[in-house]
Amino acid sequence: MKTFPLDIVTPTRLIEEGDVTYVRCPGIDGAFGIMANHREGIIALGFGEVKATKDGKEEFFVVAGGFAEITKEKVHLLVETAERSTEIDSSRAEEALERAKARFKETDESSPSH
Amino acid sequence: MANLKDIRDRIKSVKSIQKVTKAMKMVAAAKMRRAQERMEQARPYSSRLQEVINNLLPEVDRDLLPLLAVREVKRVGYVVVTSDRGFAGAFNSNILKTAQAEIDVIGKDDVDLFCIGKKAHDHFERREYTIIDSHLDFWNNLSFSDAMRIGDGIISHFTSGTVDEIHVVYDEFVNVATQETMSELLLPLVFEGSDATPKDRLYEPSKDELVTSLVPRHLNVQMWKYLLESYASEQAARMMAMENATSNAEDMIKDLTLEFNKARQAAITTEMLEIVSGAEALSG
Repeated sequence: MKTFPLDIVTPTRLIEEGDVTYVRCPGIDGAFGIMANHREGIIALGFGEVKATKDGKEEFFVVAGGFAEITKEKVHLLVETAERSTEIDSSRAEEALERAKARFKETDESSPSH
Repeated sequence: MANLKDIRDRIKSVKSIQKVTKAMKMVAAAKMRRAQERMEQARPYSSRLQEVINNLLPEVDRDLLPLLAVREVKRVGYVVVTSDRGFAGAFNSNILKTAQAEIDVIGKDDVDLFCIGKKAHDHFERREYTIIDSHLDFWNNLSFSDAMRIGDGIISHFTSGTVDEIHVVYDEFVNVATQETMSELLLPLVFEGSDATPKDRLYEPSKDELVTSLVPRHLNVQMWKYLLESYASEQAARMMAMENATSNAEDMIKDLTLEFNKARQAAITTEMLEIVSGAEALSG
């Protein structure tokens, strides 16, 4: 199958994923896929999961806020944050979730009741 | 003639100061290297983003974006980027001098300040300039979210019309020995007109919406760049200052040791003279 190079670029790091055959991205109006020879374009991305198929194996990333730039030669995902699924520290992530929930509850209680 | 003990004490204290400056130099060198790495990592993102915006802008209506609006300038905003700490040679004073000179040309009453770093805040507060916002004590754990926070604050003052123009004064990191104080116009954004012919490309959602979401991102990255450049410059300046201090201490130790030996020799000579003249008086 035809391949194309994929780069995930953030302000703090550059992930050069290499030659992939397929990428699924979280667009703001739903997920979309990119294969080789895709039409050129710029597509806004939301928050979510990126799936890249490389040598028949699937690799996952989580990205937030940005866009995909598709050119003839290459696909760039320019996003604010990106993390490879294998790098995610699940205990840290859960802690962050708890923190967010607590904060959510706090603001909920402090806001005036209707 | 200085007392032998006094000289010995001074040598000791200079030596311990030298130890401190040496340690500070090494810490600054390590921090500078890290800052340089981060600058390298930020470059691909900012250059791609810039390129995409340059390609998009000719195809959208500029009135769409308040951040591109050129208004009549009534009030000017100045972002002054300094460090929280001193001991960095002329780093802070150069920035503050440049900033103050520019502000005084416009007139202190027509300028609102955003101070980044304690040195800028203290300097302008003491001189009673109008400070809208200050960001202190974040340099040690500098992260991209700081840049976003600071950037958003500054953007909001521009879009709300508090200020009609925003300048940034910061030190650009050229290399370890050279840092250049720069003053740049941050807002309204000016992009070099690209004469690229419109490409047959897919835009989702619309070009307008894309530009609206991209431009603030570009601004945040710009802010991130200023912070990283400034941080690297601060560390480089501190490294050089501490390097000089260490070698000055070395010179002082050399001079003091010479003085110590001279004083010691003089003391011995006097003592010998006393003994000899005493012996001569006895035999005579």
